[in-house]
Amino acid sequence: MTRYLVKRTLWALFVLSTVVSAVFFLVHVAGDPAAVALGPRANADAIRDFRRIKGLDQPQLAQFGSYLGVSPCVRRDSPDFHDGAGYCGLLQGSLGTSYTHREDVAAVIGHRMPRTLLLGVMAMLFELLFGVTAGIVAALRRNTWADTGLMVLTFAGISVPTFVTGPIALFVLAFLLGWFPMGGYGVGFWEHVRHGLLPSMILAVGGAATYARILRGELVETLRMDYVRTAHAKGLAPRTVVVRHALRNALIPIVTLLGLSLPGLVGGAIITEKIFNWPGLGMLTIEAINKLDVPIIMATVLMFGVLVQLGNLLADVTVAALDPRIRVGERG
Amino acid sequence: MTPSTPRSRRHAEGALRRALPGVLLTLAAVCCGAYALTHIPERPQGPRYVGAGNATPRTGGTFVFGAGSDLHSLDPHIAYDANSYMAIRLVFDGLLDYDEQGQMVPSLASAMPEVSEDGRTFTFHLREGVLFHESPVFDGPRELVAEDVRWSLERLLHPDTGSPGVSFFARLRGFDDFRAGRTPHIAGIDVRGRYEVAFTLDQADQTFLSAMAMVFAYPVPHENYEHHIAQGDPGAVERNPVGTGPFVFEAWERGVQLTFTRNKRYWERNRPNPDRMVLIEQLSGETAVGRFSNGDLDVLTSLPAVHYLFFKHAPAWAPYMAEEPEATIRGLCMNTGMAPFDNVHVRRAVAAAIDREAMRVMAQGRALPAGQILPPMIPGYDPGLPSLQRYDLARAQEEMRLAGYPNGIEEPVTAWIGEGQGSLVAAQLWGANLERIGIHVEYRQVAFSVYLEETGKPGQAQLFPSAWNMDFPDPSNFLEILFHSQNIHPTASENRSFYRNPELDALLDQARGEPDRERRLALYRQANDIVSRDAPWAFLSNDLGAELWQPYVMNYRPHPVWSNDYRNVWLDLPRVRVADSTYTEGATP
Repeated sequence: MTRYLVKRTLWALFVLSTVVSAVFFLVHVAGDPAAVALGPRANADAIRDFRRIKGLDQPQLAQFGSYLGVSPCVRRDSPDFHDGAGYCGLLQGSLGTSYTHREDVAAVIGHRMPRTLLLGVMAMLFELLFGVTAGIVAALRRNTWADTGLMVLTFAGISVPTFVTGPIALFVLAFLLGWFPMGGYGVGFWEHVRHGLLPSMILAVGGAATYARILRGELVETLRMDYVRTAHAKGLAPRTVVVRHALRNALIPIVTLLGLSLPGLVGGAIITEKIFNWPGLGMLTIEAINKLDVPIIMATVLMFGVLVQLGNLLADVTVAALDPRIRVGERG
Repeated sequence: MTPSTPRSRRHAEGALRRALPGVLLTLAAVCCGAYALTHIPERPQGPRYVGAGNATPRTGGTFVFGAGSDLHSLDPHIAYDANSYMAIRLVFDGLLDYDEQGQMVPSLASAMPEVSEDGRTFTFHLREGVLFHESPVFDGPRELVAEDVRWSLERLLHPDTGSPGVSFFARLRGFDDFRAGRTPHIAGIDVRGRYEVAFTLDQADQTFLSAMAMVFAYPVPHENYEHHIAQGDPGAVERNPVGTGPFVFEAWERGVQLTFTRNKRYWERNRPNPDRMVLIEQLSGETAVGRFSNGDLDVLTSLPAVHYLFFKHAPAWAPYMAEEPEATIRGLCMNTGMAPFDNVHVRRAVAAAIDREAMRVMAQGRALPAGQILPPMIPGYDPGLPSLQRYDLARAQEEMRLAGYPNGIEEPVTAWIGEGQGSLVAAQLWGANLERIGIHVEYRQVAFSVYLEETGKPGQAQLFPSAWNMDFPDPSNFLEILFHSQNIHPTASENRSFYRNPELDALLDQARGEPDRERRLALYRQANDIVSRDAPWAFLSNDLGAELWQPYVMNYRPHPVWSNDYRNVWLDLPRVRVADSTYTEGATP
């Protein structure tokens, strides 16, 4: 197991460094960050100042060096900047200063991460609540109207994108009926939760539908297994058989999916955040890309990279723990 | 189960029994859905609340407004966008400001400055007894003095500040020496007493007062900057503004909202104002419209097309809606350094070929047809301009013939356009117009960042839509920035048509220093005529801004210079909830 983990970590580091360098050089093909950060009204003087202050007048390779922190810091307004010869950068744990937010990138992300996490966790709860319930009902009432109805619904849930359901829900449920707040984030934890209800439900539609379909399939298979029949034969209550014996095994693929959904959870549902004015990481990422805010783009890329790697690893490890048939690093 | 029942029927009965709950459930869901759909309320047609009817202006209440994006900086030296200005103008004052008619008036200055005979020295006297907001960065009450004006301008112009507003002050004496680090102070700023400061220019410049009225020149207290530098986080000053304005900055929950409280020590006494101001970030589109209709938002400034049409045709909203032309010019920029637009006749043909009325219709009436660089409210605008650009297909074809292309241009022209479906659709409209005079357009849609970079380089982009919005209401801000040849650079040119005309340059230089207002405007009218005739741009439209406010928001009208300026509003509270029938039917309350 240890060898496996070391191997996975090394592989993850390789992937991350490739992604970081590729994105760093690609972003600079997309235009001049100075011109974009200062806007279309900025004049040549101002752009020159900005390029000098941010080190954008240096050669690309030197910029990459200072981004990594292997050459002296060029971001003079960075909190890490001391005397012009100081080192600051990724390897020293600094993500730099945002061009547009004009604040330490770690602080900017720190503001938004909890918001996105809240939305993600709420969405995950709704996914599990609706998905697992619908999956169990459909499997137990297999080939009935309930089953067919649910499966049609889940099919619709998977097919209709959030940019369709979101605005409709906002207009009808929030605006016309007034059941939910009109987007936004609110002030205070319970206000955040209240504002998060509608977006997280919309966000959960796709996931819940997927879980319901997968769980139904698994459960139908499992209910046919010999050990389930044995449990029935022993005279156990049908409820105990389903919950204790069948459901437990049928949930394994759901656990895998949950692990894989981790990056999406933290990365923020970009479209949902935009529709509901939820000030999370998704919206931050979009704006950073539009405004060529390179430090933010790099930080989000790095974060998503780490999360994808972590999510995969987590899914592998959990499944191995849950399913005795999977054993890592053993030949046989 | 009796043996006499046929097997198949038994099966059918069993299936039916098993399916029954499902069928009932589905039926119930359909019924619920149908009920909900038929009982969804209609869209309300009028305001939810009206004012209490106070006869005299009153102080108090909370005013809620929104910005379509995040705010980025509350440092007057750094911010350069309308959203940030909404907040900055609550917290800070300038020496000069504009009144509701757009006339320049003294604000922190006790009177308009004295101008010397040669037009090169401006002496300001400050209002006495103006206090900065209470703040831990001060030891006690802190008065605004002339030294603050000097410190603020030097901080603004220092190369390490990276301000986008530097060039507006370039004619100050000693500007270059200071910027190059050769002198610690700007020679042209002279503090002559506690409340007196004089500015001396190298050359006469009639735009200097306009520059001094810009947000960039708002005085800031140096203690605030020193405090955050000492704390090791110099950037924090941009999130913790301390000024002299009518509202004190309270808190900023990043990406969510900013709050301000009324400045009880404001120098202008007895001002009725709300006690609190709340600025919600990232509020746009449907959510803004919904909140405004519910009465949770006090002004509505961003109107998606469908909602614009709704409000425009809702009689109950008519008294609370304003549509005003904005000081924005939109047009088609032609690179005069590249074929075929190096040929003035081709440019004139383009300017005459575009049907501006069709563009107005496509923008639901929010694009007013234009034919010259200056928007109507800018001095120097000339409704009878001899060379006014207008749609005239026959003249366009004649110009194509004069250009030597009677049968059109074989080589297609590449138009660079920014991202978004809207810009592509608009481009296809004028593209179709150009097709009719034999100019074939190929569209190159790129990210805004790429558009911005490539159109600023000479010899790169042939044709592209462009827009300019004023910094201050003066013709130089349009003509000089966009068409003076000094604004052509290898990258990031302001003059993106790369138009070079020594005659125009001389005219603009002369106009900038001309002290006599009438003579000065005559020079700009001449320049306006040249630019319109030579057509480095096809001038197409001025924006028509639309905004709404709640019936209980008093003393608000769109400001001619500042967009969304809420310094003078007061709230007619307690507001009264209108009857549901009035609300949904939209009778004028």
